[in-house]
Amino acid sequence: MLELQNVARHFGGIKAVDGIDLTVHQGEILGLIGPNGSGKSTTVNLIAGLYKPTSGRVRFLQEDVTELQPHERAERGMARTFQNIRLFSQLSVWQNLWAARVVRESGWAGLRARWFASAAQGREQAEQMLEFCGLQGKRDLLAGNLAFGEQRRLELARAAISGAPLLLLDEPAAGMNAEEIDDLDQRIRTLRSQGRTILLIEHHMELVMGVSDRVVVLNFGRKIAEGLPHEVQQDPQVQAAYLGADEDDELAQTALRA
Amino acid sequence: MDFYIGLMQVIGVHTLLGLSAWCVLHTGQVSLAQGGFFAIGAYGAGMLTAMAGWPLGGALAAAALLSGLVAVTVGFPALRVKGLMLVVATTAFAEIVRLVFFNLKWQVQTPQGPVGPDGGLGFGGIRYFPAHAWSGLEVLALIWSLVAAVMLTLWWLDRSRVGTLWRAVGEDEVAAQSAGINLTIAKVSAFGIGGVIAGLAGGLFSHNTTHIEHGNFTILLATFAIAYPILGGLKSLAGTLVAVVFIQGLLIEGLRFLGDWRSLLFGALILAVMLVRPGGVLAAPLQWPTNRRKPASGTAVPQERTGHA
Repeated sequence: MLELQNVARHFGGIKAVDGIDLTVHQGEILGLIGPNGSGKSTTVNLIAGLYKPTSGRVRFLQEDVTELQPHERAERGMARTFQNIRLFSQLSVWQNLWAARVVRESGWAGLRARWFASAAQGREQAEQMLEFCGLQGKRDLLAGNLAFGEQRRLELARAAISGAPLLLLDEPAAGMNAEEIDDLDQRIRTLRSQGRTILLIEHHMELVMGVSDRVVVLNFGRKIAEGLPHEVQQDPQVQAAYLGADEDDELAQTALRA
Repeated sequence: MDFYIGLMQVIGVHTLLGLSAWCVLHTGQVSLAQGGFFAIGAYGAGMLTAMAGWPLGGALAAAALLSGLVAVTVGFPALRVKGLMLVVATTAFAEIVRLVFFNLKWQVQTPQGPVGPDGGLGFGGIRYFPAHAWSGLEVLALIWSLVAAVMLTLWWLDRSRVGTLWRAVGEDEVAAQSAGINLTIAKVSAFGIGGVIAGLAGGLFSHNTTHIEHGNFTILLATFAIAYPILGGLKSLAGTLVAVVFIQGLLIEGLRFLGDWRSLLFGALILAVMLVRPGGVLAAPLQWPTNRRKPASGTAVPQERTGHA
């Protein structure tokens, strides 16, 4: 579904992403992990189109999207959340969802749907999403006034309402407590059961290892491991990356298994 | 009485000007080009009625449309930049327009003598209203019915998906484009609609005063244009109207005896509003954010080490 071919992104002399190959298959949950500064967020931004790669290609649904703008990629079926929540904070909960409906018609019909559509269908979608994020009672509140956990849920719903087959979740659990993370785990599974493919970028090991079908590990902008969660956990290179090469192996095991 | 009718006419025209800036501000852009679009509308409509003998309605519509087209044309390159650079770019545009009209000499002969823009001497004889025996009240009614029509249209637009998209772009461009919103179309459409409204205001202005010159369209006019919606608050259209009444009615006319000190007061007023009511005078009551926690990036480090928070 999504394929990165030897993608690199350099900022001046810093090689944030240094030639990685990554494939996300239809219907899977792929976990992308790595220590701070390993290039995870840069990778998401390269996929979503906020950065253009220095070299390499990005293919999405059999199409080369390397040169496309973020909104064009969104129209083709990807949606994302942000590490530091980026809601339209002075818009209501409902408007946040309403603004993010992606219209796939083109020409005059598309223009009408995009700008003016009352679209009973759109309202229905937004209602479903309100229910999904459990904010039915707060639909007219400003998004900026929601509690932190609610903002995270709304952002996930805003990504999901586009109907995009691919969701890029950039550290959705950051700042959450254990209960909220369990809740997030359920929501991710729900989305997958609706046929979404999910790329999950996350620091929280328990969540990633629990929910992912496969895990890819980055370090210093390179892919150092890929495989099933338990395989990756056993990988000596991964353990070294997370705890430093000289650390006690047993400690690394404990940390990664947690 | 004539004084009040004249004042109400000015307030109507300036309300339209403020509403044109309101559209653009909605998408988070600060444009000082509104005075330029106003000038294009003023000269365009004036030339059509005085020189080409068009009826007023047609001239106003054509001038507004022309202004909108210029706005869209200028908008595509100009809106690639934002913030201070956009302020510079739009100021430059407005100055170019002013200087074009400063140098424009194009007159035609009519039974009443030559009519048309005469360079630095300005463009006089836009006498459609006197020639058709419109009374001051009738002109006033025309201006305010157009103000009402524009306000209704914008009110509807703001409630439609267009308004939501404009506001979304104004809130967060990165999030908006990631949610599939085409930033260029959103910004240029707001700019174009703002251009149409400013052009209409300009056409009314030139017919109302009958004589215009380049000095009417300086940067001061553009400053007024964005000051109205900022003072009034972007939340409501009525805010812009209230701000125009306040500035034109009270500050400019009511305090005329203060002379040039009024300009100082104008500056102080904007500062005061920004300090006391950052969302504008008619903004919703101040609401404190209820976020219990901020997504602190620092919290991620211990999680990564230990596996759970």
